[in-house]
Amino acid sequence: MTNKNISFWLFILPALFALSVVVFYPFLYGFYYTFTDWNGLTATTFLGFENYIKVFQDESFTDAIWFTIKFAIVSIILVNIIGLGLAVLVTQKMKINNGLRTIFFMPNLIGGLILGFIWQFIFKSGFDAVGRLLDLEFLQGWLATTETGFWGLVILNVWQYAGYIMIIYISYLQSVPEELLEAAEIDGASVFQRFWRIKFPLVAPAFTVSLFLTLSNAFKLYDQNLALTNGGPYGSTEMLAMEIYQTAFSRYEMAFAQSKAVIFFILVAAVAVTQVYWNKKREVDM
Amino acid sequence: MHQKKKRYKMWLTIIGLTIALIWLSPFYLMIVNAFKTKFDIFNNVLALPEAFTLDNFKQAYIDLDFLNALTNSLIVSVSSILIIIIFSSMAAYALSRNKSRLSGGIFLIFVAAMLIPFQSVMIPLISIFGKVNMLNTSGLIFMYLGFGSSLSIFLYHGAVKGIPVSLDEAAMIDGASRWTIFWKIIFPMLKPITMTVMILNVIWIWNDYLLPSLVLSQAYATIPLRMFFFFGQYTKQWHLALAGLTLAIIPVILIYFFAQKHIIKGVADGAVK
Amino acid sequence: MKGNWKLLLVGLVAFMLVLTACASDTVDEGNGGNETGTGSGSDSGDDSTDKVNVDIFQFKVEFKDQFEELVQLYMNENEDVNLSVQTVGGGNDYAASLKAQMASGNEPVIFNIGGPTELDEYREYLTDLSDTEAASLALDGTLNGVEEDGAVYGLPFAQEGYGLIYNKEIFDAVGIDASTLTTFDALEAAFKQIDEQKDELGLEAVVALPASELWVMGNHLANNYIAPEFNNDILTAFEAESISFEYADQMKRMLDLQNEYSVQPVLSLDYSMQVEQLFSTGKVAVIQQGNWIYPTVEQMDEDFAKNGIGMMAMPFEGDYEGHLPVGVPQYWVVNQNASDEEIQAAKAFLDWMYTSDTGKDFVLDEFKFIPAYDGYDASRIADPLSQDVYSYSVDGKTIGWTFMATPVGWNEDVLATEFQKYLAGDTTFDEALEVAKESWASSRQ
Repeated sequence: MTNKNISFWLFILPALFALSVVVFYPFLYGFYYTFTDWNGLTATTFLGFENYIKVFQDESFTDAIWFTIKFAIVSIILVNIIGLGLAVLVTQKMKINNGLRTIFFMPNLIGGLILGFIWQFIFKSGFDAVGRLLDLEFLQGWLATTETGFWGLVILNVWQYAGYIMIIYISYLQSVPEELLEAAEIDGASVFQRFWRIKFPLVAPAFTVSLFLTLSNAFKLYDQNLALTNGGPYGSTEMLAMEIYQTAFSRYEMAFAQSKAVIFFILVAAVAVTQVYWNKKREVDM
Repeated sequence: MHQKKKRYKMWLTIIGLTIALIWLSPFYLMIVNAFKTKFDIFNNVLALPEAFTLDNFKQAYIDLDFLNALTNSLIVSVSSILIIIIFSSMAAYALSRNKSRLSGGIFLIFVAAMLIPFQSVMIPLISIFGKVNMLNTSGLIFMYLGFGSSLSIFLYHGAVKGIPVSLDEAAMIDGASRWTIFWKIIFPMLKPITMTVMILNVIWIWNDYLLPSLVLSQAYATIPLRMFFFFGQYTKQWHLALAGLTLAIIPVILIYFFAQKHIIKGVADGAVK
Repeated sequence: MKGNWKLLLVGLVAFMLVLTACASDTVDEGNGGNETGTGSGSDSGDDSTDKVNVDIFQFKVEFKDQFEELVQLYMNENEDVNLSVQTVGGGNDYAASLKAQMASGNEPVIFNIGGPTELDEYREYLTDLSDTEAASLALDGTLNGVEEDGAVYGLPFAQEGYGLIYNKEIFDAVGIDASTLTTFDALEAAFKQIDEQKDELGLEAVVALPASELWVMGNHLANNYIAPEFNNDILTAFEAESISFEYADQMKRMLDLQNEYSVQPVLSLDYSMQVEQLFSTGKVAVIQQGNWIYPTVEQMDEDFAKNGIGMMAMPFEGDYEGHLPVGVPQYWVVNQNASDEEIQAAKAFLDWMYTSDTGKDFVLDEFKFIPAYDGYDASRIADPLSQDVYSYSVDGKTIGWTFMATPVGWNEDVLATEFQKYLAGDTTFDEALEVAKESWASSRQ
């Protein structure tokens, strides 16, 4: 196939057309309107960078950035530790391995919105009931404060994604040659030594993959945020995606919201590019 | 030595089972309370229901207009995935077989689109599609092609590279057209990656809330959109909501049960590549 | 080359399919929402051509079923009209859904607005309804806020009132007469008295303050101490360029009092916990709510609802002592972008609902509304809470609902949110009011 070949163009056209109309055109179109007072339908005046200046003065946006970053960091650490732990557990030779794997992975298949509602019930009613039963005060009144809202989101996120990350670690763990482990065992290496000395270095590339996945998941989180806390109390658990949505579809400040969306894109893209760059560099070093 | 190993295994099994129980506890609470009356839920969340009632499920089924929502979800998911598979595999094949710079550039564009998060195009997208009256099911399916093609093309591209060009050339000599070559020879060989593409897209599209909430009107609402029915501004009807949530999860669990090996493998392949 | 032709053909067929799909979508759009609605099903597409289709987009989840029943009755009587009801009271609020509906070009014929603020927002959509029979029968004051230069833009749903709803049995047991609790001191003394005996009475606390519900604090509680500042008049509030919180001390006292005697933590309590889990089961003695809770309480405990509850005004020290805030929660409006035929059909339906005998029966017995129109038999008002509201109304001891006329989102997103911060200890009451004052002034510039 060459560029002159008509079948080349016919083969790529549908997908390219959809991508352009759905992603690139709206992106550029929206970007243009961030310099105006666009209300979703029309724009009357050109504002220059005014919207962008306003974005950084908007407390609810900067609060959302910090909240999201905090959430992302805590989530990444916990999801990866627990995901790796689960992966190590289910790659031991046990009869119940497959069953466990099935169970841990299950939350991934269910939508964030549905899981958010389920956990809202767990935190509000389930935790409360357990708290009363065992007389543990910290289990009561969950999601009513910023802290419990934060940890609620983290717990939900970890529960949902740890199984997914587990799958990724498993595929790397299984690539560890069996003979190597057996040889080490014969040499008298303990379980932990075998893990740290042999498995860990071989699994290292999985960290890069998992970090990237959890990071971008954490940044784009919306459904869970909406169903679990809906930003409450007093908007203090509103994450970036939700903050942008609110600006656009509750307050109808479209140009302003789109400016936030552009900043959001820069943040997400910067993270991704760093990741790719880092990854490539390490591959070369090795 | 043998004894020690056995004990170690036993402990491991116990730990595994304990974690599994913790993992499943949210589902336990959901299901158990879905069978209770409103009053029962307030009185005791943790216990088994005093008298099992199916009323919640009946009511939730009606309120959710479940069959309709299920149909809507199926229409959206199946059509989107079909066109994603057809058009992405075609595009990936063409891009992979054409070694020119332009082709490489177009491939890069597809990959780069993955960097753009949905929220960054959401507002203009809705505005543009609204203007041309495409905020409906067909518009939504088209949008899914746009959002889904990047990753799918990326995955297919890698797989096509692994198929020797000599196959194409041999068929070409026999007088087959590109179209025939692709569908008769190449596409069948892409079956494993097609499974992966399908699974990744199903999980995402079936569960998507934000995009359809902006595009679909009530009558065409998919299952996730309906879930809000029980979370009224003034009343939160947990007994019905939990039954509704359980109903919504059942199709997913059923499919998972039958195809878990494929699903887990598909997800792993998609993430690692 | 042969393959390319096939490819083109497939492309064309796909394109055609997409087009037909779009077309059928638009045709079906007319019946949109049927599924949630009248049960006439989505298969009505075949006969919808010769019928007038009227889409109703309404927010009152509580009376959805009864309303749909009435709509069905109307359609049985008027076969040339097809009404489809869409109820959006969901967690995502009605206002946002309505905006989305309008923006998508899929505009309903009949929808709801809250008062002057929304009247302003939707002015270009509203039809003058002053020629309807219902408008001429609307009670004094119920059109205040949707009337402009002789034109009437909305028809009131009903009247509603709120205050402190109490458990009569507990009040009797402790020996408190609700009618004497018109001052803060009296109320506080009563709360204290109940609190001391709460174990014997089986109470968890005296009050349940659902601070996670922005409307309970931002709209209702605050209004009791804001309305007097605007002379109790919705339009004055609507035109006010600033707010001074003249009765800030009383507002604070009411909030603190409820917080102090409430089940904790207040920020975790929502409406459902307040009304169903705590009040209906006798675990708290007093809640700040309105007559709309009656069906919910009835569902939980019928006998308690019928005989065990009453409503009293929140304390206010000043001219409006012992006054109950009574207002019109929502208005029906008709979209003037609809066709003449649709507008006429919509008006006819609304008239029928509020003035025909069948309609009146439904309003009183099924919807359990406190009618906002003349010509109703007041003795048939369904429940004790509504009767209490109605008797305040008859005595003229009512104040308005100014939260229908405050800047968009001010009560909930600003004031109530600040109250939440105050209750969480993140701000002081004065600072909270300061923020609210600034926000009011800047949006009324």
